Amino acid sequence: MIASEETFRQLMIKAQGGDKLCYSSLLVECDKWLRRYYARKINPSAIDDLVQETLISVHRKRASYDPARAFLPWLAAIGRYRWIDSLRKIYRHEHDHLYEEMVADPQDEDVTAKVSLERLLGMIPQKQAEVISLVKIEGLSIIEAAAKTGQSESLVKVNIHRGLKKMSALIESE
Amino acid sequence: MSISANSLIEGLVEELEPVRTLKPKNGLAIVGGLTLFALIAVAATLGVRNNLMIGMAHEMFFLRSGVLLMLGTATAITVVNMARPGVGKLNRGWIWALITAALFPLTAAIMSAIAMPPVEALRPMEGLKCLAVSGIAALAIGTGLTLWLRQGAPTSPERAGWLIGLASGALGAAAYNIHCPFNDIYYVGLWFTIPVILSAVVGRLLVPHLIRW
Repeated sequence: MIASEETFRQLMIKAQGGDKLCYSSLLVECDKWLRRYYARKINPSAIDDLVQETLISVHRKRASYDPARAFLPWLAAIGRYRWIDSLRKIYRHEHDHLYEEMVADPQDEDVTAKVSLERLLGMIPQKQAEVISLVKIEGLSIIEAAAKTGQSESLVKVNIHRGLKKMSALIESE
Repeated sequence: MSISANSLIEGLVEELEPVRTLKPKNGLAIVGGLTLFALIAVAATLGVRNNLMIGMAHEMFFLRSGVLLMLGTATAITVVNMARPGVGKLNRGWIWALITAALFPLTAAIMSAIAMPPVEALRPMEGLKCLAVSGIAALAIGTGLTLWLRQGAPTSPERAGWLIGLASGALGAAAYNIHCPFNDIYYVGLWFTIPVILSAVVGRLLVPHLIRW
């Protein structure tokens, strides 16, 4: 069970005031939320690092949260920013199976749908989203992605580059 | 949760100290203060345009002051709001201010197409002075705004770079405007546009490296 939006908000307000107990609970809840958020959107071998990098960003940038606003859109913006950054760094994965259990148990479905990574991928042209999913998320090589999509190898590279660039400009879009 | 995630969380909790939440109005105050400082510096070193000194002013002075200040303010508001990210939080007011400001170079271009202005109307030497002074003022304003934004979490460093350049270029030109004695559309369309564009390009090139997190 993941905390509600209001619980997240209250914990963060206390954390900004220096309450370590609330902060510990907040980070544990953020860890759970982020694991589900990133599920199927990054290779499982990279998920621990990505979640931890996002938690560090949450810590370093906690002053940028506005207590008058909802918490999850703020966390999602930071999550998307770290996700795109992480996709840029990944060049080749081993073929791992995606963790099926991580896609179960969705929480706050309305909020999550609006801030989801799926929605962000849906905002860029389909050809770009397709090769990003194949190469950066599923871990195919450029050659394999080219064969699967019918795009040339150089086009796959260009589409990945353009797609990531476009997504990074759209991070705060619903 | 993994052992490493647990120990990371313990470490972060150990480091926790109270923080003051970022207030966009503080960023705006820095921009306003630096613009005012630039304006006073221009007035003190180069002087205030003559017709203002005698209590009169050309309508062009008000038009370009208003448009530059509006562009600078709308863009600066967008920049300071970028410090506090959130999905669904878009600020696009600056686009309208930019379109309005584009009327000056557009009008100058159309008028030039109708009748080519004499070179004297473009006043290259004075124009370069306008460019230099506006550029120095923009650098000061842009530096202040960039340093403030570094505390925040802008999710689009490239866009932030463009916008910081645009805001500081427009406000830097607005500061020089208090001295600039020329009123014709050719001069304003050229020499008040170049500093804004150049500043935006410099912002795009330099700022993202400084604010990435």
